[in-house]
Amino acid sequence: MNKQEFISKLKEQLELESEIDMDTNLKELDEWDSMNAMILIGFVSDTFGTVLKADDIKEMTTVESLIAKIGEEKITAAS
Amino acid sequence: MKKKILITGATSGIGLATVERMLQSANKVYAIGRDMKKIEHLIEKYGTENLLYIPFDLTKLQELEALFIQITEDGVKLDSMVHCAGMEETVPLSLYTPEKVKNIFDLNVFSSIELLRVFSKKKYSNDNSSVLFFSSVMGILGQPGKVGYCSTKAAILGVVKSSALELAKRKIRVNAILPGIVNTPMTQKLFSQLNEANVNAIMNMHPLGIGEVEDVVPMVSFLLSDDSRWITGQSIVIDGGYSIQ
Repeated sequence: MNKQEFISKLKEQLELESEIDMDTNLKELDEWDSMNAMILIGFVSDTFGTVLKADDIKEMTTVESLIAKIGEEKITAAS
Repeated sequence: MKKKILITGATSGIGLATVERMLQSANKVYAIGRDMKKIEHLIEKYGTENLLYIPFDLTKLQELEALFIQITEDGVKLDSMVHCAGMEETVPLSLYTPEKVKNIFDLNVFSSIELLRVFSKKKYSNDNSSVLFFSSVMGILGQPGKVGYCSTKAAILGVVKSSALELAKRKIRVNAILPGIVNTPMTQKLFSQLNEANVNAIMNMHPLGIGEVEDVVPMVSFLLSDDSRWITGQSIVIDGGYSIQ
């Protein structure tokens, strides 16, 4: 999976209507709520095997920073 | 007289505390769990003649009857069973696949029914036995992300009521305890996934604070004893007031 595919997958899973890119701060989106955080944790765990903790969500800013938390190599390796 | 008690989930949380309480009142305990290290101190203290640790994976339901054969091979039948093993998970509805749903039902519900089915055979259990399942206050309430957990815990309530009727002719009693949040390793894992504000919110939803295993075990002990001989098919909430709001 490349970064672009990751972004579109993320958008699909979170059912976001806003356009997002690497610089989007997910938590600043009007659509963002605690349910999104829960879905994000589940999606990342299922797809990349990385279990994000509450602190990771707290520290997360942009999509780029989310990718860094997951580990770029895990995203590249995922189908 | 010494009772023979089978306890699952015996190496952690409420299960482990129940094992110790039952040993204190001079019973023989068959402890099913996954981590012997956590129960070694009790084996040392009470000896293998009183506490037998049996490693067993409760998702292997087809092997369960062999376990009962092993336990009763001395000809002495079981008097009680407490099923504490279970799993908790937070999965939003949109991510629940049929496999994931099956996984949590396997451990939380299907193992309960199979344990009860085998236990209730006359060759493995005495009349007047007591069986105790752990549901949860989440079995009667809901929470976001808990479709799987809540539905499994609600299912237990149906198991308890129906089986209590079926087994009444042998005076075997079946009841469920529905705890609120109790300070156990399972809860610690849950809290590690939540931010501080959510953890505080959960704490504040328990008027008497979150529970300790010692707050639940006396009820386990009572429901296993003959003092509760007229109580069956019941769902008993112990939650520090969580569910009354």
